[in-house]
Amino acid sequence: MRGLLLERSDQQRTATTLFDRVAEVIHRRELLGVLVSRDLKLRYKNSVLGFLWSLINPLLLMIVFTIVFTIMIPDLHVPNFPVFVLCGVLPWNFFSTAIISSIPSISGNGHLIKKVYFPLEVLPLSTLLAHLVNFLLAFIVLIGMIVAFGIPLTVNLLWLPLVILTQLLFTGGVALVLSTTNVFYRDTGVIMEVLMQAWFFLTPVFYPLELLPEMTVVRGIELPVQRMVYILNPMASIIASYRAILYGSTLGSPPHAPALDFFARTLVTAALAFIVGLWIFNRYRERFAEEV
Amino acid sequence: MYAMLFESVSKRFVMGHDRARSFQDLMLRTLRPGSHTPREILWALKDVSFMIERGEAVAIVGRNGSGKSTCLKLMTRILTPTQGSVDIQGRVAGLLELGAGFHPELTGRENIYLNGALMGLSRREIAHRFDEIVAFAELERFVDAQVKFYSSGMTMRLGFSIAICVNPDILLIDEVLAVGDQSFQEKCLERIEQVRANGVTIIFVSHALETVRALCERVIWLDQGQLREDGACDVVVDDYVAAVHAHEEVAVE
Ligand SMILES: Nc1ncnc2c1ncn2[C@@H]1O[C@H](COP(=O)(O)OP(=O)(O)OP(=O)(O)O)[C@@H](O)[C@H]1O
Ligand SMILES: [Mg+2]
Repeated sequence: MRGLLLERSDQQRTATTLFDRVAEVIHRRELLGVLVSRDLKLRYKNSVLGFLWSLINPLLLMIVFTIVFTIMIPDLHVPNFPVFVLCGVLPWNFFSTAIISSIPSISGNGHLIKKVYFPLEVLPLSTLLAHLVNFLLAFIVLIGMIVAFGIPLTVNLLWLPLVILTQLLFTGGVALVLSTTNVFYRDTGVIMEVLMQAWFFLTPVFYPLELLPEMTVVRGIELPVQRMVYILNPMASIIASYRAILYGSTLGSPPHAPALDFFARTLVTAALAFIVGLWIFNRYRERFAEEV
Repeated sequence: MYAMLFESVSKRFVMGHDRARSFQDLMLRTLRPGSHTPREILWALKDVSFMIERGEAVAIVGRNGSGKSTCLKLMTRILTPTQGSVDIQGRVAGLLELGAGFHPELTGRENIYLNGALMGLSRREIAHRFDEIVAFAELERFVDAQVKFYSSGMTMRLGFSIAICVNPDILLIDEVLAVGDQSFQEKCLERIEQVRANGVTIIFVSHALETVRALCERVIWLDQGQLREDGACDVVVDDYVAAVHAHEEVAVE
């Protein structure tokens, strides 16, 4: 009873600083867990087949790209192409499906938001975490592929949690912003579907970054294309990190640790994206219950 | 010690139809600047102050759109006041408007866990109260059916049952009882009386004035977002009934 009372007074506080918001979400992690399992239940209807079904898409993409780039356009010369592609497609699918399904996470949960007070951040974040579960399960397939192609599993796998954390922070930031936007502009999802498609082609998912020219001259201006992709597109750096630790390089060298300065920059960018996401979400959160 | 303190609370809504609701809409509006309508602002509550003591049973009455539901949403912190301050002491639970916060695709059982978690209960606490919740709602046969197959009365039963079984300090009820059948309504009222005797603060919104008279000792009357009268139940309800009749007569003429 005593504990319950303490918890109550603690819930009373209207948290406003970003630090308080994060603390409140962590405090309600049990709710986060319930929402994640609700998400998974609704998606898979409690069936194993449902999960297997979600693997079809990345595997199909892998097969298609392998056929295109090893048989139809065979001069790409990327060793172990299926593994190379899967290392890009799985994180990308995680990113894009998590974003697309978190967009309506506020606007589609009006029935909850108008009923009880709870930290609304848990809605987009639980969608993200549900997709993480999916991603981690799909990883089993990737590891199987890596072994099947004779690529060594090295100690660099220890980087994996950190790379996944980076991706979570970046995806979380984008999800927080877009779920906020969708409350006010309900066609955010439609627009993002199109933008995601473009983003996919601008990210080295199915082609190696080295394929791009280092420099291009557009209307007299010199553009460092390769560096720009990394700087402007955190997903490019994140996928490059996955490839470094799981696949190695396209020249055939074994998996290696990502360059430290490169990875640190990616992590900082992702963390900044998350903070900006939290800030924007927090700025509009009080109006959500009025608009949904 | 008070349970709820409203200090000059005002709540403003911007009416939805004046604002772009999609990017497409936004673009069209920017392209045709002439089509701009001035923003229509609605004060759902205006300068409302009151204090509700711990253990009181208070009803809020008023015509449709007078701000009763808005008031309750401020009490749960679902909405925040535009001006003034709302201070809440204790755990609030309740049923706001029709249709409890259930997911139609999930079963009754899953919804109980979800709702409990939303209200801040741990899994253990919910498991502990689970049987009580189901028994009170008399839904033993239906706990594992999806809520979309429930009747509206059954949904309300489950919602009420959860709200009352989480042992709130302040219980809010917005009109929902009307959906229940006679026997369940009586059971609810009995249970409300019972938790009241245990010192729970009750805030009750209803158009059923007989129930209001039976249940509450104090009534707050809201009229177009303003506090019209706040006092003993019989006095305020009589005044309210008189005003409604007077209004009807004017309308008839
Ligand atoms: N989210 C919102 N956006 C815009 N206006 C709103 C919103 N919520 C409520 N209003 C307006 O605020 C006013 C008060 O609404 P409220 O729901 O509090 O009335 P009420 O007293 O509960 O009425 P009823 O007896 O019909 O339940 C209404 O005019 C309503 O249109
Ligand atoms: Mg109402």
